Amino acid sequence: KRNKMTIRLIGFGNSVCTIRVILCLKELGLSYKLTPHAGGYAALKDKDYLANEHPFGKVPVLYDDKFKITESRAICRYLAFKHQGKHNDTILIPNDIHEAGLTEQLISYGSSYYSPAIEKIVMQEIYEKDKGKTPDPVVINQGRKEIEEVLNVYDKILEGKEYLNGKFSLADLILCPITHYAHIAKHSDLWDKKPNVKKWWNRLKNRDAWKKTLEDAKNA
Amino acid sequence: MTVKIVGFEVSPGVLSVMMCLHELGVPYQIENPASWQALKDEDFIANKHPFYNNYSGKIPVLCDGDYTITETRAICRYLVSKYQGKYNDTILIPNDVHKAGLVDQYISYEYSYYTPPVAKLVVEEVFHKTSNPELVETSQKEIDKVLNVYEKLLNGKEYLNGEFSLADVLHISYTHFIFSSTKYADWWNKKPNVKQWWDRISNRDCWKKCVEKIKF
Repeated sequence: KRNKMTIRLIGFGNSVCTIRVILCLKELGLSYKLTPHAGGYAALKDKDYLANEHPFGKVPVLYDDKFKITESRAICRYLAFKHQGKHNDTILIPNDIHEAGLTEQLISYGSSYYSPAIEKIVMQEIYEKDKGKTPDPVVINQGRKEIEEVLNVYDKILEGKEYLNGKFSLADLILCPITHYAHIAKHSDLWDKKPNVKKWWNRLKNRDAWKKTLEDAKNA
Repeated sequence: MTVKIVGFEVSPGVLSVMMCLHELGVPYQIENPASWQALKDEDFIANKHPFYNNYSGKIPVLCDGDYTITETRAICRYLVSKYQGKYNDTILIPNDVHKAGLVDQYISYEYSYYTPPVAKLVVEEVFHKTSNPELVETSQKEIDKVLNVYEKLLNGKEYLNGEFSLADVLHISYTHFIFSSTKYADWWNKKPNVKQWWDRISNRDCWKKCVEKIKF
């Protein structure tokens, strides 16, 4: 069943936040069109882009027909509230107020603790390397320690559960891209050391929507 | 009453939740932990908030009857879902999915761009009482860039999304400490739209009630 609306996404195939929105679209069964911004990352600081797309010069930007929204987690929530349950059975934000609250709490743990710890390493190992710089071993060591502490907590959270809030939700989805990059950056041992976390990541990366997302990101 | 905040009435996160409760008209109590160190006790970590750093564990924690929830913005979203429209007419997150999406976008701007440089300065200078001229210089540059964007965002608008919303609420508590306890209010006041916006939100009755409760 094809959805008649037009969803257009401005972003890049190697942007964690763009990949996050693509995954959300895939999980909800939505089709979309990805338009990379001409001129690449540097052009995100152009006056035009700042005035018309994202005032802080970031990707992604999503257009749902004429409605424009920025900031990947805000975009994901919007897509969930508008489209969840309409094209398939996937529920990203539970309808029950209390379960939704716990999902939001977990989303916040992701922004406050999980992602920042990994970003330190990913910045060094992937983005700095791309610019021709050598990763700073001190920053990487510190990053690894932080990730280990965070994953200790996540291992407890996941005890007896398949996903962070029991059922798959936006809280898990949001963390897929950055976790994937940590593995590409060759720090997967940190996840493998924790039994619950290891199983959780295996489950996430084997989801159909994630596999399709990686395809789209590669071809972007 | 069933709603209880666990925390100290000086933490910007706690103050944001208090403001949210006042705006929604929800009665609540505050329970102060024994100390900042107590936030790292085994019991607190196991039953209230599982994260901590070198300084302390995390607050606020909200207890609503048997239900416990942490993380300021998650708590506020929960309170809006549960209580908005029940005690008064105040709308913090619009019911329309598009307007709600934009409020969420502005909350993300607050979290990603506004609060980090403001909080860094407030924590160093106001809470840790450290004088760091280098930090002031970097903070001024960063904050100025952000406020330039806000100046444009607020053009022709009273609030970030046109009408008062949770997005405006979440900007208040850290900014309050800039105005009450530093010499940097000028960085906000020299931008006319930003100044008017700050005057508007900081003069709300509900915020004044929160300020009265600050234990600093």
